Amino acid sequence: MVLDFNTLYSFPDRFDRLMQEFLRPVNGESRRMAYPPLNISEDDGNVYVRAEIPGTDIKDMEITLTDKTLVIKGERKPEQGKYFRQERPAGPFQRVVQLNVQVDRDAVKAALSDGILTVTLPKTEDIKPRRVSIDVG
Amino acid sequence: MNADTNEKSLPALRPATDILERADGYWVYMDMPGVNREDLVLDLRENELAVSGKTRGLPSEKERFLEVQFGSGEFRQTIALPDIVDRGGIKATLKNGVLELFMPKVARVQPRRIDIQAG
Repeated sequence: MVLDFNTLYSFPDRFDRLMQEFLRPVNGESRRMAYPPLNISEDDGNVYVRAEIPGTDIKDMEITLTDKTLVIKGERKPEQGKYFRQERPAGPFQRVVQLNVQVDRDAVKAALSDGILTVTLPKTEDIKPRRVSIDVG
Repeated sequence: MNADTNEKSLPALRPATDILERADGYWVYMDMPGVNREDLVLDLRENELAVSGKTRGLPSEKERFLEVQFGSGEFRQTIALPDIVDRGGIKATLKNGVLELFMPKVARVQPRRIDIQAG
């Protein structure tokens, strides 16, 4: 879509492109979810919680882990100026994730890159899948 | 390359965008989480600025997903540039998944006091 804050000009192809926007199926935008959106995944060793939090420094976020709950808290500060258009969410946010497995609390890591927060929660040793060899007598 | 085969299947995403004016010019902010600087393309055409950026794929295929609320895709947005934007002075910065565009106003639009000559 073309964002226009210029009222004096019109381009012949603009209307066509606007129509394309209407025809395109709405993906995700109609079903608003809690902010920030989360992806939760696991492999044999870890549980990963990823969140889309662009524009926030990791220092301005508060990530806490209680017994089986991970809490991601922070605030997105709005820019100052005269707004022509404002779509980016602003204000405080919080997400709470219930963990269904035991995690090694001391080895939890959080990293932020390109606006995506990744929290890596290693599973404790005793719940990792283990192969037990059985000697046939 | 792998990226070429994936290109068709990547869903198009529209970045949430703020446009605001300050004394020095226009500032545009776009949320593009997951887009690296190398994957961001800014195209300045005659009257518009086209922005596109692909997100990096998910890191591991061994992971089982329990909850998926965002995915990878290609962010696309086009901004029409008014005449009072100085095209040569446009600056772009990508930080923490937010693209910041600064578009200065051309000098002649900035307020200027006109001296009156005594006749």
